[in-house]
Amino acid sequence: MTNDPFSKCHPTVNFLYFLGVIGCGVLIQHPAYLAAGVLCGGLYYLLLNGRGGWRRILGLLPLFVLLAAINPLFNTQGQRILFRIFGRPYTLEALLYGGAIGAMFVSMMLWFGCYDRVLTGDKFTSLFGNLIPAISLLLVMVFRLVPHFIRKTRQIVGARRSIGKGVGEAASGADKLKHGLVVLGALTSWALEGSVVTGDSMRARGYGSARRSSFMIYRMTWADYALLAAMMGLLGLVIGFAAGGSAAAQFTPSLKIAPVSGFRALGLGAYWAYLLIPTVLYVKEAIQWHISRLKI
Amino acid sequence: MAHFQIEDLTFAYPTAKGRSLDGVNLTIDRGEYVVLCGKSGSGKTTLLRHLKTVLTPHGKRGGRVLFNGVDMEQVSQRDQAAKIGYVMQDPDNQIVTDKVWHELAFGLESLGCDQKTMRARVAEMACYFGIQDWFHRDVATLSGGQKQLLNLASIMAMQPETLILDEPTSQLDPIAASDFLNTVRKINVELGTTVIITEHRLEDIFPYADRAIVMDGGQVIADDTPRGIGKALHERKNDMFAAMPTPVRVFYGANGQGECPLTVREGRNWLNRCFPAPPQIHGLPAEPLEEEVTNPALSLKELWFRYEKESPDVLRGVSAQVPTGSLWAIVGGNGAGKSTTLKAICGICRPYRGKVKIFGKPLEKYKAKELFGGCLAMLPQDPKSLFVKKTVREELAEMTDDRQKIDEVTALCQIGTLLDSHPYDLSGGEQQRSALAKVLLTQPRILLLDEPTKGIDSFFKEKLADILCKLKDQGVTIVMVSHDVEFCAKYADRVSMFFDGQLLTTDTPRRFFGGNSFYTTAAGRMSRHVFDLAVTAEDVVGLCRQAQEG
Repeated sequence: MTNDPFSKCHPTVNFLYFLGVIGCGVLIQHPAYLAAGVLCGGLYYLLLNGRGGWRRILGLLPLFVLLAAINPLFNTQGQRILFRIFGRPYTLEALLYGGAIGAMFVSMMLWFGCYDRVLTGDKFTSLFGNLIPAISLLLVMVFRLVPHFIRKTRQIVGARRSIGKGVGEAASGADKLKHGLVVLGALTSWALEGSVVTGDSMRARGYGSARRSSFMIYRMTWADYALLAAMMGLLGLVIGFAAGGSAAAQFTPSLKIAPVSGFRALGLGAYWAYLLIPTVLYVKEAIQWHISRLKI
Repeated sequence: MAHFQIEDLTFAYPTAKGRSLDGVNLTIDRGEYVVLCGKSGSGKTTLLRHLKTVLTPHGKRGGRVLFNGVDMEQVSQRDQAAKIGYVMQDPDNQIVTDKVWHELAFGLESLGCDQKTMRARVAEMACYFGIQDWFHRDVATLSGGQKQLLNLASIMAMQPETLILDEPTSQLDPIAASDFLNTVRKINVELGTTVIITEHRLEDIFPYADRAIVMDGGQVIADDTPRGIGKALHERKNDMFAAMPTPVRVFYGANGQGECPLTVREGRNWLNRCFPAPPQIHGLPAEPLEEEVTNPALSLKELWFRYEKESPDVLRGVSAQVPTGSLWAIVGGNGAGKSTTLKAICGICRPYRGKVKIFGKPLEKYKAKELFGGCLAMLPQDPKSLFVKKTVREELAEMTDDRQKIDEVTALCQIGTLLDSHPYDLSGGEQQRSALAKVLLTQPRILLLDEPTKGIDSFFKEKLADILCKLKDQGVTIVMVSHDVEFCAKYADRVSMFFDGQLLTTDTPRRFFGGNSFYTTAAGRMSRHVFDLAVTAEDVVGLCRQAQEG
């Protein structure tokens, strides 16, 4: 686990940030904006995952190429025909559009990868803790039960194997299904039994005896508020410019991409700044540590 | 005013014929440490569940329970939740949430406490129980002992006046169990919390309890100080005497005079008083271990195994030879790789180096059907993993159509009366025997047992030992992994110590436990300064009698 300062911010800040990133990423198709999304997403992804992150990023490359190349096969609109395939035109515009879709897809994969590392299950549920305690508790219990079930399934399968009731190597499909159903049945009885104990344990600790409150392990600090304000400011700028048409892009039937120049570059700049927030925080902390180490 | 006052309490479950509680009268004072003992099914759990209304089972009830002088029915749910803490057997299912910190706060959240109070109480509890280090961890990553400690801490966060514990350590290994019980004792001594506890492992709590209550058939048959209980049970020749701590059993077995010892220390001092001069007989003969095993049922040669490529090795050169028809016990710490060894023997784990030979034939040469159909079978640690049907009878029928075989196994495992029950309705010991019956229907010549004595009381242990002895007589080879040194000392033919991924020493139980000074039985620790190689209570009693006569 890397020591990422953005991950240590309040979950609300994390959540709103990713909401902004993903919202913009899906809605804006302007190539310059897409490129910013992919680059910044990739950078932060690498910071979070270290060297292992390269593999995933490189793995996304063929996906990008595939998405770009496939689009013209289905979408034949466009003016500049590169060649004909199966008697249908393969156009440059459609290819570029495919590239844009591919880039959007890659950028979303990267950002969701970051989201996964930053906003862990407990952070996510704590977001709703105060608003809807009942739902938040339900989520927490589900988060706990799923791995629990997987472990138990393995245990049952192993136990049955060691008394000769496992699925043999040469079992037919019907046998496998039957075996699966037996295991599922056993798992169900076990889960029901467990839920009785869990229910007792909850009631024994006063569940339902009063209005629930929610223990907030995360606290909003002034730094969180400041970051939130900065985020909102930048996001406001991006949305404002986008609404004004600075981020408009059309690929088919004809290529119409809003130029990025002069005053309009401000929108793109705000977008870059917004996307770089976690990276900047990361670098800032790294420098601070470096300096304080030099002082010793 | 008494903390709990139980007046003429009678209870019967709706479907049961007899009464589960039959005219129980008890008074428990504030700050007392009370141990409730009795066989499985004697009504201990039913009684404990009457001390908290939300847990009270449905059925026909008579009499009443007063809490601080108020009828329990009149005490509000909120008060009961906060003031009466209840810890159950199962460490896993008691936990509700997925994070340690959240679990600690769960009770406080239910009571609707504000942030400030919650923060303070959670921090306080985390420090008191020493769980700061795993405060942010996922519950799933904790060991059984840590889980049970967390359950206790999350209840203590509500600052209860009373702590009720229903066999809290039955699923834990001995070290975790004694840690847990020490914490309970610390709570009782330092905070004055009333403790009412049921336990199989009386050795750890009996000496510290203020009072012990023995139940049988839903009635209280004895209520006295621990010392008094030992005397009363001995005089009445009650079955429960077998569950008493070793020093008590040795004392009465050898017709000891004076005050009965409860701890190993007291036991040693008592032996010193008995034998001021070293007795004529100074020990038991050491039966030597045959080093060369001819024709072993099972042979392991230099097994190396790890679970993942990057993880450390769990087995680091495990070698052993097991003679046919013997009981081999493997003891050792938690997570040392004992269970993994069993898995390697039955092919669930494949060692990357080394050889497993079963009756002289390499494991990989066996087909699954041949191996598990009459050659090898394993009873898993949690017998529930084997139950897939609605009754025990159907469980057995799943294994074979042969009526005669089923009847034989039913008789051997003494489960004739349980055949029509749902496996989940049985007690731990009954489940164990039903699962064993199911395993035995594959007619294994090698039986692997993973912690067979976990969570079962002393009577069921004896029954299990009976079954194992009969199986041995039939020529079955038994390999057992266990934490239960007492059980291994009494019934095993050879014992091996598992440490650091290897089997370090293998010897006969008497030489093995007689040679150890820490990792040995209570009887061994109590008598080793007087007698050599006496490792069970029976050994010590026998030697004492001989020494007194001679």
